[in-house]
Amino acid sequence: MRCERCGKELTNRIIKINGVTYCENCARLMGYDRFLKDPSDLLGNPFSPLDQIASSLMQMSELDFGNSTLTCPKCGMTLREFENEGRVGCIECYNTFNDNIVREMFKQQGNSEYAGRLPAQSADTDVKTAEIPQEIKKEAPGKQKEIEVTEKNEAPTKEEQEKAPAGKSGKGLTLEQLMKADLGMLSDEDLEKGIKVAADAEEYKLASRLRDELKGRKEGEGNV
Amino acid sequence: MSEWYTNDGKDSDVVLSTKACIVRNIKGYNFMPRLDDKECQSLLETIDKAIDKDVYVGGNASNIDKNTILKLTRLQILGREASQMANPERKAFYYNDDVSLSVAVGAGEHLTVKAMAAGHDISVYKKAEEAVLDLESKLDIAFSENYGFLTSNVRLAGTGLKVLYTVSLPAISKTEGGIAALSQRVGQYEWSIYPFAERGEIADSDVYIIASVNTLGVTEDEVLKRGEMLISDVIKAERALRDEIASSKKDQSADIYGRSYGTLRYANMISRSEALQDLGWLRLYHDYDDTGDINISWNTINKLTMDILWEPEAPTRKNSQSVASQKFRAQGIRKILKGAD
Ligand SMILES: [Zn+2]
Ligand SMILES: [Zn+2]
Repeated sequence: MRCERCGKELTNRIIKINGVTYCENCARLMGYDRFLKDPSDLLGNPFSPLDQIASSLMQMSELDFGNSTLTCPKCGMTLREFENEGRVGCIECYNTFNDNIVREMFKQQGNSEYAGRLPAQSADTDVKTAEIPQEIKKEAPGKQKEIEVTEKNEAPTKEEQEKAPAGKSGKGLTLEQLMKADLGMLSDEDLEKGIKVAADAEEYKLASRLRDELKGRKEGEGNV
Repeated sequence: MSEWYTNDGKDSDVVLSTKACIVRNIKGYNFMPRLDDKECQSLLETIDKAIDKDVYVGGNASNIDKNTILKLTRLQILGREASQMANPERKAFYYNDDVSLSVAVGAGEHLTVKAMAAGHDISVYKKAEEAVLDLESKLDIAFSENYGFLTSNVRLAGTGLKVLYTVSLPAISKTEGGIAALSQRVGQYEWSIYPFAERGEIADSDVYIIASVNTLGVTEDEVLKRGEMLISDVIKAERALRDEIASSKKDQSADIYGRSYGTLRYANMISRSEALQDLGWLRLYHDYDDTGDINISWNTINKLTMDILWEPEAPTRKNSQSVASQKFRAQGIRKILKGAD
């Protein structure tokens, strides 16, 4: 991780302000001194505004790496590796590290619900390059107000932690769960069991969808 | 065929380029960090079959010669980080004739599709989307209803889309608190801004990248709309501040402008940061110079700026300060400015 202002590699302290990551030096240069205090100073100080304490706590929780030995059964990625690199090893990892991934996503995004387009469907967008009038010279002075922002340097307020999507459902899924399931998220094992459940219930369409999903993963050749 | 970044772009006094990057992964293969070499070969073959050879040239990175690597760096397909070409047998690069559209395989995710245009031009999204749709129709893409397109880097999961504007902001940079205020404004749009610098480098120019952040909870359309609103704000603010500096400090600005041009035009050795600083001043005062003595187009300013930022001859900054590279750089700039005189 590096400072988003000067590009320097971050070694010890990571300071996040409004979602932007700074090194200690840049944070100070930009007048964010109050974020540089040791969190324990703030907690010991009864006059610390609440938002300062909250932001310090958030910084601490960001640095709190779990030491779980959770491992993805498919690709062997461990939770620690994932937390260190922010990268997962396979689709199955999304099931294995579900809670942690969602937390990782929340760090960056206020909302973890997918809202984009479906595969092979164009996104419905009509955005055109905005027209910006070239001639704005010789306007009234005080134009630099354009970039002044009245808000104070609020700490990020993204802690409206919504519930994690309830995708995960342990051992074998019921027929009803399978019908609603997001097939891409099911483990190979769930799919195999699901095919049997669906076939037993004579839901052949579902069974074949599950089989296709499983087959697609095993062959990995797609329909090229 | 001309190269994409030498085209005339809109708002090129502020915006160097607009880029849209879309990443995708193929079902049935582990993501890159857990993909063994044998599987990786199979992945490369599978993707190679899906690549439209009428549109793209290129292929496995281990077959790309040194000159092409330099060219692809200058044209911003490859980053300047030398590590980009580590393990070339696990990567492939495909690109169209003006290199404005490219598909990188094995660069972080299985597929990275990138469309680029000079200046301010959001049509790059459609161009990238079209290329991705073609691949999605031919390949089995990892997708989940909850998380959207699945990626190894979980921060890209969802739309897998990043929109980036590369901007040069000499006036905002030179205004006290300018960049801090801009960072806040960018944060309000839930976008990010960071200086142009690579791992371990010190940012030494007034060039910034303004990039989208959210890939979940937003549609592609919302990302683009916000980006367009944000970039309009940035362009207006930078122009207003140039106006302010050029009128309130007319003599000083005119002086530095002339000196900067002189240095670029006639220096025998020049460091990267000095060249970028000088180009920043040319940019700031370009539209206010009424002497008519200096003849340089926006296109030339932008080409020089990007050539130096992506300088392929200096993939790491270690050698970019040597006498030889300072001379090489100065000569390259002189040649272009002489031609523009
Ligand atoms: Zn910094
Ligand atoms: Zn895994």
